[in-house]
Amino acid sequence: MAGLKAPAPPAPTAGAEQPAPPARPRTARRRRGVGSLFVLFLAAAYFLVPVAASLWFTVDDAGNGISFDAYAKGLTDDGLITSLLTSVLLGLATVALGLLLMVPTLVVVVLRLPRLRRVVEVLCMVPLIVPPIALVAGVSTVLSWEQELASTPFYRTFQLLQNRDFPLVLVLIYTVMSLPFLYRSLDAGLRAVDLRTLVEASRSLGASRTATICRVVVPNLRSSVVSGAVLSLAMVLGEYTVATVLGFEPFAVWMVQVGEYEAQLSVAAAMLSLLLTWGLLLLLTNIAGGRARNRRTTA
Amino acid sequence: MPASTTPPATPILPRVNRRLRRMRWPAVVPFFAFLAVCFGIPAGTLAYQAFMVVDPATGESSPGLDNVSTALSGAYATGLLGSVRLSLLTAVLATVLGAVIAQAVVNSRRSALRKAIVSASGVFANFSGAPLAFAFIATLGTTGTVTRLLDLSRTGFSLYTFTGLVLAYLYFMVPLMVVTILPALDGIRVQWREAAASCGATRGQFWRHVGLPVLTPSLLGGAVLMFGTAFASHATAAVMTGSSVPLITIQIANALSGNVLVGQENLALAMSLNMVVIALLVIAVQIPLQRRSNRWLA
Amino acid sequence: MTSNAPIAKRRTAPDATGVPVTLRGVRRAFGRTTALDGLDLDFAPGELVALLGPSGCGKTTALRILAGFETADEGEVLMDGEDVADVPANRRDIGMVFQSYSLFPNMTAAENVGYGMRVRGAGRRERRERAAELLALVGLPGREGHYPHQLSGGQQQRVALARALAVRPRVLLFDEPLSALDAKVRLQLREEIRRIQLESGITTVFVTHDQEEALSLADRVAVMRDGRLEQCAPPAELYARPATPFVAEFVGTMNRIPGTVRGGGEVEALGRRLPVHGSAPAEGTEVDVLLRPEEIAVRAAADGTATVQVATFLGGLTRLGLRTEAGLEVKADLPSREAAALAPGARCTLVPHDGAVLVADRSAAG
Repeated sequence: MAGLKAPAPPAPTAGAEQPAPPARPRTARRRRGVGSLFVLFLAAAYFLVPVAASLWFTVDDAGNGISFDAYAKGLTDDGLITSLLTSVLLGLATVALGLLLMVPTLVVVVLRLPRLRRVVEVLCMVPLIVPPIALVAGVSTVLSWEQELASTPFYRTFQLLQNRDFPLVLVLIYTVMSLPFLYRSLDAGLRAVDLRTLVEASRSLGASRTATICRVVVPNLRSSVVSGAVLSLAMVLGEYTVATVLGFEPFAVWMVQVGEYEAQLSVAAAMLSLLLTWGLLLLLTNIAGGRARNRRTTA
Repeated sequence: MPASTTPPATPILPRVNRRLRRMRWPAVVPFFAFLAVCFGIPAGTLAYQAFMVVDPATGESSPGLDNVSTALSGAYATGLLGSVRLSLLTAVLATVLGAVIAQAVVNSRRSALRKAIVSASGVFANFSGAPLAFAFIATLGTTGTVTRLLDLSRTGFSLYTFTGLVLAYLYFMVPLMVVTILPALDGIRVQWREAAASCGATRGQFWRHVGLPVLTPSLLGGAVLMFGTAFASHATAAVMTGSSVPLITIQIANALSGNVLVGQENLALAMSLNMVVIALLVIAVQIPLQRRSNRWLA
Repeated sequence: MTSNAPIAKRRTAPDATGVPVTLRGVRRAFGRTTALDGLDLDFAPGELVALLGPSGCGKTTALRILAGFETADEGEVLMDGEDVADVPANRRDIGMVFQSYSLFPNMTAAENVGYGMRVRGAGRRERRERAAELLALVGLPGREGHYPHQLSGGQQQRVALARALAVRPRVLLFDEPLSALDAKVRLQLREEIRRIQLESGITTVFVTHDQEEALSLADRVAVMRDGRLEQCAPPAELYARPATPFVAEFVGTMNRIPGTVRGGGEVEALGRRLPVHGSAPAEGTEVDVLLRPEEIAVRAAADGTATVQVATFLGGLTRLGLRTEAGLEVKADLPSREAAALAPGARCTLVPHDGAVLVADRSAAG
């Protein structure tokens, strides 16, 4: 790394008297620390300036000092509350569906169908190759068959999927989009414990299958389940592309629409969403951290 | 089941195994069914319809390459190229900056600092899309705080350009790279550094001969992830710059919502297919490298 | 940079001669904990000294200060009479073998061994030849093209040893190089390290927490405790004439037997008066007498005051676990053929051997 050269070699000391040296200067160590701190300081500036500037933007009332109107307006705005609520519900539904699909599958694959592990992994990663915009292009084409299917029982299904109050189709797409997160965190959790041995031990001690799943499998996967869930939730709360193409109006879409005429309000909403992400991840690290602490005390 | 795939069944637990065997297929069926319906059908439609040409006069569709060739020419070619350029540049920058910051974190050896930076990176890596666009508009937009403070409009700087997009993209890509690369940097053992020093190598030589070769697969993996993330991004650019910077994601969205011409759905599908192909190509580069690093670090 | 020229001149390992190394008044603190508290040690040219002590005694810190990975807060480090305090690790001409996982994973065994020469600008062919020669020396001929992940733990440590030797170091440093290995491999490699060290004549410092390893390997063993040197002596002397109670108990097995100091520099224990090694405490002081298992004779006697609890057959010797009527636990070794009469439950008398004994404060840890 630049600027961190080793100190110069010492002057030749052949035959010289060598008085006991006093405390050593620790230049090399100190300089290295300074280099790292400098890099981190620059990074902190890049990341904090937009947040500070945005906060200022929301409270700066041109020429009239500071005003919290944007926040006051936001908190009473029906659009914000409705859209945020939609987003939260969509997020929770996505997380629930994703976990219902993934946890049993992965547990069974690890325990009984190790041959399928690669297949499941590849399938879960495939959504990374198809960008959301491409996926939604495919979905909107499929949804456009609605008219042609008018006479079949599928018609009702299509209508249900596109219910404006609670668009199920978004839940399905978001679940597909969250598979990579869920897989990664659950897989990490499963690798950290030897699930097969745990289950066999529990069964050999006489526990029933249900008890084994509730008392052994789930607690051991808790932190990875939470981390996958939080990441999916954060993704859904800020999702814009899919929702806007399909014409729904969750939080991010509302934010953009409001931005057309109320810049301050949408920036305030953006800060709110940063705060939400932060809170969610804080929750995650606390749960994961608590677990790590438990491990240490029992070790 | 062939004996090689499962360890010999524990003789004490035949009942357990039989029960578990009974429950194994039902548990995985919903997963495969879900993927087939919610991912397979749209993706299949995408791949199929991209090659179906709708005759504007009759409304009949027939197989043909018209969509694909349109998607690769004119304004659409510019959009695809713009997306690739933006993704390449931001991927390289994010990889380098993310690795440098992560190494600074590793060097600092302060666990409180590290914790703070890791959780901040987690937050900022998830702060993308529309909220990010608004934060940047509020900061560097025409009436943005920093624009006014530093009088940036006089310097000719504008957020609504390629450069502006790079700045905004890095805001979530660099933290993503930091959390992605940290484990790999932790994997660079202190012993290697010290062994190299005792062999007479300088810090620079250590990084050139050992550190970087060992990290190369992880860095490339990170770069591929960065490219994919930037390439797939739509919301940030859509909100910040609209259509002023040609990007394929925005063109797809426009074609889908019929903003340009009615009846362009299949063109949107062809463009989407191009995106998938490029993503596949980029990932193909990384797989053999990943394998090598797994072997080294096993 | 002084190392470029000599490399070309010295052709083979044997004529690399060791240099004297001195640590003088070395102190090092990490925050509030003092790792080294004024360490003085002299290493003669070509000598192998083992630094032995419990974990946290500062032995590893001392080694890392020698290597240049740590700096001393105070004191000096001399190599061949030269103060190396300001010489960075990569210019100290040292070879170091780490506990484990120190091979560069992206290089083959031969590339690992040749790395020091590569850094010094040696040609590809010279490196290849030297690597082959050294890999043969450490017992791995023909493994040049193997990557570390293809080698076992013991083989990896052999390559690491070859790599450390390749630069023809002035000083060879070992940081618990055997502790991650299986018992059998450990014994084998221990002997080879000694053979190669004797052949090359390089001054060597070997850190270990395994007293058997230290005693069997080293010319001299330096026992450390709390950042200070307790005693540095040849293994036999260390065992037979420990300078302090700590050394006595840390090296080998030791019994603590309550005794009372009598006049004339003698102590009374197990019903006998024994001369005290060094200066005896004041008359009447209650002390513990330190006796090795082989310094206690056991005689079967129906009216004896001790009972055999356990007898562990160790080949030529049998170790008896005994318990006196006073509740004292004592270990004693005796030739296996004499032990036949002393099955568990047998009563016996304990007789300490003649000769000066070491005494320790009664209150000290026991």
